[in-house]
Amino acid sequence: MRGLLATLRNAVAEARANRAAFASQVTIMVVNDIVWVLFWTLFFRRVGTVRGWDGDRILLLLAVITCGAGIALGVLANARRVGNMAVDGQLDGVLALPVPPLAHLLLRRVEPVNVGDFLFGVVLFAVVGSPTLGRAGVFVYVVACAATIVTSFLVLTGSLAFFAGRNEGGELGFHAMLLLGSYPVDIFAGAAKVVLYTVVPAAFVSTVPARLLEDFDLAGAAWLGAVAGAFAAAAWATFTLGLRRYTSGSVWTRA
Amino acid sequence: MSRRRWPEVTAGTAALRAVAERGGLAIALVFYVLVVAVLAALWRAAVDSNGGEVAGYTVVAITWYAAMAEAVTVSLNQRMIREIGDDIGSGAVAVELLRPAPVLGVRVAGALGRTLPRLAACCAAGAVLGLVTAGVPERPAALALAVPSAVLAVACNIVAQHAFAGVAFWWRDAGSAWFLYQKLVFIVGGMLIPLEALPGWLEATARLLPFRAMAYAPARLAAGHVEPVLLLEQVAWLALLALAAGAVFRAGERRLQVVGG
Repeated sequence: MRGLLATLRNAVAEARANRAAFASQVTIMVVNDIVWVLFWTLFFRRVGTVRGWDGDRILLLLAVITCGAGIALGVLANARRVGNMAVDGQLDGVLALPVPPLAHLLLRRVEPVNVGDFLFGVVLFAVVGSPTLGRAGVFVYVVACAATIVTSFLVLTGSLAFFAGRNEGGELGFHAMLLLGSYPVDIFAGAAKVVLYTVVPAAFVSTVPARLLEDFDLAGAAWLGAVAGAFAAAAWATFTLGLRRYTSGSVWTRA
Repeated sequence: MSRRRWPEVTAGTAALRAVAERGGLAIALVFYVLVVAVLAALWRAAVDSNGGEVAGYTVVAITWYAAMAEAVTVSLNQRMIREIGDDIGSGAVAVELLRPAPVLGVRVAGALGRTLPRLAACCAAGAVLGLVTAGVPERPAALALAVPSAVLAVACNIVAQHAFAGVAFWWRDAGSAWFLYQKLVFIVGGMLIPLEALPGWLEATARLLPFRAMAYAPARLAAGHVEPVLLLEQVAWLALLALAAGAVFRAGERRLQVVGG
């Protein structure tokens, strides 16, 4: 555990080494997210309510997805790179260390631009989420679950590269998860909706957490936690099994 | 490369490379279908909730609008401005000055060549998606205008990205220009939302800017609106943007400083 904490400290220090670049990248992502607030505001101003969703609800959803994705892509930045590292044989360095490989890999790199996402989500919740102590607690819980699901999904789809020898699946999984998670699942119907609760679990990283924030129920929260746990276990198992098929690329510098 | 044939040779080689990279093409295509499916579903839900029409667009029209607006955007290299800026900022562009052809022209021809195969694939997939999920547009003749409009849209976009990226000759980095540009195409370019759905003041502003030539124009035509004047506007914007990009590159090349070797 101490080794992992030291890894995270180093990753944070590395990201903050160039403070001006860190600040500008965080600012860029915050402004990017503000454009999405503008889009949703313009959209709902024009169309009113769509299948139970209005401007206020969608901003709650945006707060959850930006926070969850901000943790997965900012603090655990290597989650997105697992597939490429597997294909290019860049995991030699991590395999030689006396720490759990996946945990070390995830904590090894912090991406400042996505930390901006996280900060934006927190501020957005503070502004539109009518925060009380209870709601803040629910927010922390649902964001933790969303971040776990996004990270696990990225590791899982990226780890398929160990078996396939290519990482197109990981790239596609990344885009699909973030794209689908940015919209309320209720706009879809039939098979598409089923996919969003199963194959690409985007519903669990935005719509379900946003619903819990609005109308908390214990069973729903437990269900969300169970889904997060199941995806985390599946990601760990796929990565660990994949390592058995890993071929070194004699690259020691990036893992 | 012959002095006179460099545009077609550059564009042709780039197009062949784009076709040969089947993995990249397939990913772009799947991503495109995904984006269109999501955006079309959102707008269809909005139209259903508003009595069958939003800002003059029916379900059929908005589906075709989304399919075309995304085709002309997704088919482009999303990081083009940043990559051009990196080449300029690092001085790598200096090598290109040695060629017996203009730097800007070769770059634009190459980008166009890389984009057109993707555009064709996205448009074909969009047409299938539109027909299957929504049906034939109300005035199918408009689709004949949408095809050249899509080519003009990506041409405008590529030339404008070079004009924006030219700031790197002075700032040594085009990261912020890339970021600003992308957002302008999203909103005032009509990529995410038809201009008619914007508030009056924003719609009026968007109609004065070149970004609408890059997404709104072909999307509006594909949605079934027979408005050939949009094509003329695109040609005019393309000429203006080419002049601007040419001026930026000429001025930038004069003050180019090469770092290292």
